[in-house]
Amino acid sequence: MSDVGAIAVTGLGGFIGRSIVDRLVADSPGLRIVGIDHRRPFRLDERVRFHAVDLTDPTADVRLAEVLHKERVDVLLHAAFRSAPRANLDLDHELETIGSIHVMNACAAAKIHRLVVASTTMAYGPWPDNPNFLSESHPLRAHPDAHNVCNRAQMEALLGDWKVRHPDTEVTVLRTCWIAGPVHQDAVSRYFARPVVPTLMGYDPLMQFVHEEDCLAAFERAVLESHPGIFNVVGSGVLPLSTLLRQAGKRILALPSPILYRMAYYPSQGQTGDSPAGFYDYLRYLWVADGRRGFDVFGEPLYTTREAWMSFISERRMRRYR
Amino acid sequence: MADPRSRARSHRRPPKESFLGETIDVEATVEELRDALEGLRVEIRSRFPRSAVRRSDEVVDWESLYSAVRRRLGTFGMSERSGEVDEFGMDEVVLRRARPLLDLLYDHYFRVELHGIDHLPDTGPCLLVANRSGLLPYDGLMISHAVERHHPLHERPRFAVADWLVTLPFVQPYLARLGGVRSCRENAQRLLESKCFAVVFPEGVKGAAKVFRDRYQLQRFGRGGVVRLAIEMGVPLVPVGVVGGEEVHPILFKSTTAARLFGLPFLPITPTFPLMGPLGALPLPSKWVIRLGEPVALDYLDAEASSDELLIARLNENVRTDIQVLIDRGLRDRESVWS
Repeated sequence: MSDVGAIAVTGLGGFIGRSIVDRLVADSPGLRIVGIDHRRPFRLDERVRFHAVDLTDPTADVRLAEVLHKERVDVLLHAAFRSAPRANLDLDHELETIGSIHVMNACAAAKIHRLVVASTTMAYGPWPDNPNFLSESHPLRAHPDAHNVCNRAQMEALLGDWKVRHPDTEVTVLRTCWIAGPVHQDAVSRYFARPVVPTLMGYDPLMQFVHEEDCLAAFERAVLESHPGIFNVVGSGVLPLSTLLRQAGKRILALPSPILYRMAYYPSQGQTGDSPAGFYDYLRYLWVADGRRGFDVFGEPLYTTREAWMSFISERRMRRYR
Repeated sequence: MADPRSRARSHRRPPKESFLGETIDVEATVEELRDALEGLRVEIRSRFPRSAVRRSDEVVDWESLYSAVRRRLGTFGMSERSGEVDEFGMDEVVLRRARPLLDLLYDHYFRVELHGIDHLPDTGPCLLVANRSGLLPYDGLMISHAVERHHPLHERPRFAVADWLVTLPFVQPYLARLGGVRSCRENAQRLLESKCFAVVFPEGVKGAAKVFRDRYQLQRFGRGGVVRLAIEMGVPLVPVGVVGGEEVHPILFKSTTAARLFGLPFLPITPTFPLMGPLGALPLPSKWVIRLGEPVALDYLDAEASSDELLIARLNENVRTDIQVLIDRGLRDRESVWS
């Protein structure tokens, strides 16, 4: 156990924020936990001291700095990111990129010891010239049509600059790949839960999933212990997309990319504001991350990609027994 | 329900006394058991679709045939995969299914002759450096097939695949399942770290884009990345000369303007390609000779030597000359392209 006295978590309503707070409440009795979100989430543990801060507010940095100072926070976990893209691109940008700037400024003002940031391996981007395994030093080339992912990449670039200017603060960035598990829900899990799954004809990339247990365990250790640096948090092993869908017993609608992108254009514009390429290109090219550095620090994952996927589909009763 | 036939066949025995003193009706017990087994059999049969237990005298089950064909077509023939792939996407089940075809290509179509397999080290890691021949990666497939069959380890080497093939729909998944890996430094490094044999083609697209009159003249070997990698990783480097591969797709002309429309590096005009459509992808049946040379010993150099640009360039040129010598020997020895 480390010398951490108080931990603040932004994005309390999100999956990572909520689950980490639950784990900390259960595992670390002496710890003070501060929850930050724009509204109080349903059924919050009474040990968590809640403060309402809206990160899209122009004065959020001052407000957040006050909270961090008042609560004498040592460690901040910044996980206030969207789990699914919204149609309102500007609002997402305000929250994810500008909100992260507010968080960084507040951390600098409150002299936080450690800043842990939730990022995603989607920020590497699906490109035909990716190597099979992307290491942490690979440049972030997020898909330009996936605005949430672009926001994360921008946030990481800003964080890189900020880190240089504030060498006293330890910065840990955890890039998670797609999370699978019984509880977690986001745009990706909703896509895979469709009865008929549209895919790109002629492409069958290798996919990678991390189980939510492994993901949360890595976050918990990153929050409680000192591991500065950037880490990919992924499951071990890869599986082809077609195998995943076959195991889930899905009907696959394989369409050539021009037709699929045109067909999915209008529905996706209504839901996400992105053009379909921003999502479907992630099912087209490789963007598998190399998790060895994270395994060395946070331990080997308990679940492989296949087991994580099995846990996801068996919870949703998608598995076809045959 | 007891079967009346079995009841008639069995002749009644008198009740026997067991060693515990109580009487057991053997007949009734056997009867009961038979009933139970019959019920189990019916139950098992009903659980499985009819096609699973097909008898030879049965007429063709059109329904199951239709569903099987539809499943195959719906997944473009890839439904039989195990789904268990290794980290670079190679699938043992696909390989097992493809092996007869590869054997056919190897033994009867290209009639591959292999020399110098004993130059390979007993275990990996090892870099096999070969000349790029032909547009499609038949050379990579054949080299790895040769090594898998004739090397005592019987391990399948991975072969590097050019970038433009990696983006090609329908081709890319199959190549990955058969052991193809996108050619880049990170991949080669990871392969060598996991003690694999890796087949690389330092000529790159320039080698594949050679027109017919330039055949078997090695192009520039990149910027020495292969040699640098071998020095840094401390792995031996085995030159491989492939003769015959450059005749499978003789490029008469190449068009770069038209290729820009499709996002390809160049558009080859072969005797068969645009004329016969997809059939042009079929190789011509040339006779192949794969010749492995003496390993280039680089282990006397330490990792700092990899920053010596002049040394790298010199070694790179040496490797290129080695391969050119192997090719020239193969060319001199063969009588014609086809035999």
